[in-house]
Amino acid sequence: MAASSNTRVNLEHSTVLLIDDNPRSLDMLSSIFQGFGVKEQIKCESAVEAAELVKRRAVDLILVDCSMPEMDGYDFTRWLRRETPTPTRHIPVIMLTGHAAQSNIHKSRDCGASFVVAKPLTPTVLLRRIIWLGGDERQFVECESYVGPDRRVRNFGPPLGQPGRRAGDLSTHVGEPAEANMDQSDIDMLMKPMRVAL
Amino acid sequence: MTDVRTTKVRSSLATQLARPGGRTIADAQRLAETGLQSHKAGVMEDLGRLIGQLEALCAAPDDGRRDRVYVLAAALVDMAGFFDTGPLYSAGYSLCDLSDRMQAGGVWSWPAVEVHVKALRLILAGGCKAGAESDVLLQGLRSVQAAFAPAA
Repeated sequence: MAASSNTRVNLEHSTVLLIDDNPRSLDMLSSIFQGFGVKEQIKCESAVEAAELVKRRAVDLILVDCSMPEMDGYDFTRWLRRETPTPTRHIPVIMLTGHAAQSNIHKSRDCGASFVVAKPLTPTVLLRRIIWLGGDERQFVECESYVGPDRRVRNFGPPLGQPGRRAGDLSTHVGEPAEANMDQSDIDMLMKPMRVAL
Repeated sequence: MTDVRTTKVRSSLATQLARPGGRTIADAQRLAETGLQSHKAGVMEDLGRLIGQLEALCAAPDDGRRDRVYVLAAALVDMAGFFDTGPLYSAGYSLCDLSDRMQAGGVWSWPAVEVHVKALRLILAGGCKAGAESDVLLQGLRSVQAAFAPAA
């Protein structure tokens, strides 16, 4: 999906679950999603409360803060991926992190979040990630040590509008052709090879 | 070898996003930014309160409350991270790194914490503007960090 600033994005019919123990952060996230056009938002100040909620109603996207008392964002996501039935376990989860303590690095990698978004957070970055998730073609992986979207995203390239950070990322610039265009008979031969008499 | 199952999933979010209608990305970003900015004054007050709590911890150092330093610094970074608070965010992040590392390593220095807290107060008082002054402060914090860096 090529996303220019005139591309339309429709989140009017989406239900978004926001989880953060800080009421001020919840209000700010809510304002951002209101700007995105989301009409139905559910705000939870604890992951435990959110876990009860997703057991009984469907949501389209979950935003969860990583650090919370009692049940943190990592444990919530891990629970969602492992302990809930489909389609609940497949709900896209965006994890928000401020500072990731050393002890949480592996939890963050292994919990099964669809995306981990590090602060500073801007509405532009958040919307870009949501649009990326809309076109997410990663397989859902379930094994003993991991349940969640395939973490190997190398072949999908960098997020929309972002320059690649890996040495192997292709440039978004399409250069001059390296050789002359193929003629129609060459293309036909590629599509449908035929025996020819020499 | 462990059993691995892979499934192709199309989320309801993908279906919703593909529906016609909605708003342009430019409008969505502009409206979201406007909504977010309406919280800024309140957040700056909250940041001041958090720095005040850190100052109180430094004024009466209590080794039983070391973990509060990380909790407060992480809360500060969480809130500051919603806005362009440049050097304040960097100084808060540095305090998170430092306190996390000191706790994990079993070494603790209240003066190292205090210098961060003083820098946070100065940066907040200066309106969180990046410049030569904040660069010097952040450079100082990096030196403090380096003293507690794990051996290579």
